[in-house]
Amino acid sequence: MFKPADVQGNILRGYRKPRVRYLMLEVADRAAARRWLAACTSGRDGVPQITTEEPWITKPVTCFNIALTYEGLRALGASQRSLDTFPTEFKEGMGQRAVKLGDVGPSAPDSWPAPFDEPKRIHLIATIYADESAQLDSVQQQALAGNSGFSLLGKRDGFNFNDNYVHFGYHDNISQPKFAEIHDVESLSDAQPVAPLGTVLLGYETNFEGLLFKVPEPEPLGLNGSFNAFRVLQQDVAGFEAYLTTAATYLLAHPKVDELLPPGAEAKIGEGLSRHAALREVVAASFCGRWRNGVPLALSPDTAHPSPEVDPTDFDFVGDSRCPYGAHIRRSNPRGGQIVQRVANHSRRLVRRGMPYGPAYYPEKPDGEERGLLGNFIGANLGAQFEAMSCDWTNLGLQDPRITGSNDPLIGANDPATSWFDIPLKSGATIRLRELPRFVQTRGGAYTFLPSLAAIRYLGALTN
Amino acid sequence: MPSNLPSNLTGDLTSDGSWFDRLVDRLPQTGLMKFVAARILVPYWAWRYPVEKQPGGPPFSIQPGDNVQRMMNLVMPLKDKSAVGRAIAALAIAQNVDDIYAGLDNVGTVHFARFVIVDNNICMLSVYDGDFTNYIRDFIATIGSVFDAVVGLVEGGDDVIPSERNIEKFIDWVHAHDMYQVPDLATGILRDQEALKGDTADTGNDDLRLLPRDLILQLNVNTNVSLGSGYRAYPGYSAAQVRRQFGIGW
Repeated sequence: MFKPADVQGNILRGYRKPRVRYLMLEVADRAAARRWLAACTSGRDGVPQITTEEPWITKPVTCFNIALTYEGLRALGASQRSLDTFPTEFKEGMGQRAVKLGDVGPSAPDSWPAPFDEPKRIHLIATIYADESAQLDSVQQQALAGNSGFSLLGKRDGFNFNDNYVHFGYHDNISQPKFAEIHDVESLSDAQPVAPLGTVLLGYETNFEGLLFKVPEPEPLGLNGSFNAFRVLQQDVAGFEAYLTTAATYLLAHPKVDELLPPGAEAKIGEGLSRHAALREVVAASFCGRWRNGVPLALSPDTAHPSPEVDPTDFDFVGDSRCPYGAHIRRSNPRGGQIVQRVANHSRRLVRRGMPYGPAYYPEKPDGEERGLLGNFIGANLGAQFEAMSCDWTNLGLQDPRITGSNDPLIGANDPATSWFDIPLKSGATIRLRELPRFVQTRGGAYTFLPSLAAIRYLGALTN
Repeated sequence: MPSNLPSNLTGDLTSDGSWFDRLVDRLPQTGLMKFVAARILVPYWAWRYPVEKQPGGPPFSIQPGDNVQRMMNLVMPLKDKSAVGRAIAALAIAQNVDDIYAGLDNVGTVHFARFVIVDNNICMLSVYDGDFTNYIRDFIATIGSVFDAVVGLVEGGDDVIPSERNIEKFIDWVHAHDMYQVPDLATGILRDQEALKGDTADTGNDDLRLLPRDLILQLNVNTNVSLGSGYRAYPGYSAAQVRRQFGIGW
């Protein structure tokens, strides 16, 4: 039976707060850390209270959640017998899975900055969500006051600098799995089936018919928990914009350019755009599967401003959809479209919660600042969802023979020597773009377990 | 002079040596020396320099072409090591042939699968595309009952069936029964041994003189291995690419 008060509040829906802070913590004093955990379930002793899934009447000013690594569970004294019941990829940790995730070259764990260079020391990641920076500081102070039992290894702040827009200039946070237990599914416009709770929570039916994911033992520790791939993803905005320019120049001279963008159609892409500028937007939209304002190509392949407006989620990749097979949103989630792994439609879905970090980029004032996305990829099984998507779909493109051998144009581990991307034309022909560089580099991350409230109490009450 | 080099090589190098050198060179070929090596030297080495068993299957690569047409070589010891046991295993496959064909078709990432019985091991050999765990998981979701019928006849198999209720454990178990694929490059085995110890940095200190010993120690723990990761006569294509090219639907 689903009990909202037992589930951490950042799993099934987003708080939609503009600021976030991740505190990477190490257990320094096991007994004190356990007392801290016991206290945070109720917010006593001044420790910030965990925000749960329980419906609220007024939205809290700040929200607070925690995640544990395998080393964290061990440091808190979970028994070996219990630790053995966690899945292999979680035990090994994100760094050991690097090649599967495309974390190679400059993205390899060897070159991750502190605190991610010492992954075994990261035990707990606490997350604070707030409207203002000062609130982040005050909750952090509250969390680590006195002898909390934890030492702070590092922190990362995220900020929605432009509402729901992220670096690279796309509107994000549009489509998420919806759950009958949480959302008003009757009024949803999303064409995708409602997700069973087992998509993200342990102990429930999954999207794989008949398959159940292992609930770590003992039950109070595993039930209603979830797994998360936390990723620090650096985005090369200047490199991305430069590639759009190069690609648009190439397309302008391409013999089939008029089929891609009929002369005079530039205004449909954006007001006052030159032909070159409009082609840049066509490339950007093809890469993502959405125009930068979020309008899906599946519903509006020729204009970013359809009239009447189209729903951002009410579409599928069936029939003669003109969304490129290799576009980011289609690769990551092929919805009901034809794919090679026939049992895998909808089964690799996961919840994505991300927030940009670093300042907004202004092309007229280039800077050397690091910027990117602090991403959370949440699901009941990291292997069946996050990793399955990363290694066979994001990279390799195994789901469709027309893209096999290519990587995701936006987030893939691309190498200009071998990379390519096909833009479809109305006739069914394609124009192939080549030499895509890697636009997103991994700068850190961890596989974490998002324990239920009962699990936090269980860990807080351990005495060994 | 290392005694484990082929005698024709050492012989050429030391043909001017003393009678003692010639004796040492001939030693690896003698029955006494082979006995000493197998019964005393290797066990001593294995105790002195413990080597972990290498995981099975091909390494995941970042080169897309390397991640299609990958080899799975499962070697699973039958519980019943008699003609009756072998016959039961043969029947388990025969009775599920229709499901096996349906599974291969629906999983979508398999080129072919073979079952053979060798010395009371039932072996499942297949060529698949992409990640191993995804392949096995999709197979469980498609025809888990066939896996269960086979794995139920194998030593230790009862702990991981029904596969649909033990997905993670089942995948790990299958992975453990997949043969280690000995790298083609001589230094590859050193890299694999480092990786298993969690040492990901290239040390650059390859003592190639130790290579024969490292190989022997590895094969002492990985007794069934694949030499290389399979050799293709043409570049790798996914099963769906082949099917699409021939217009047979994917």
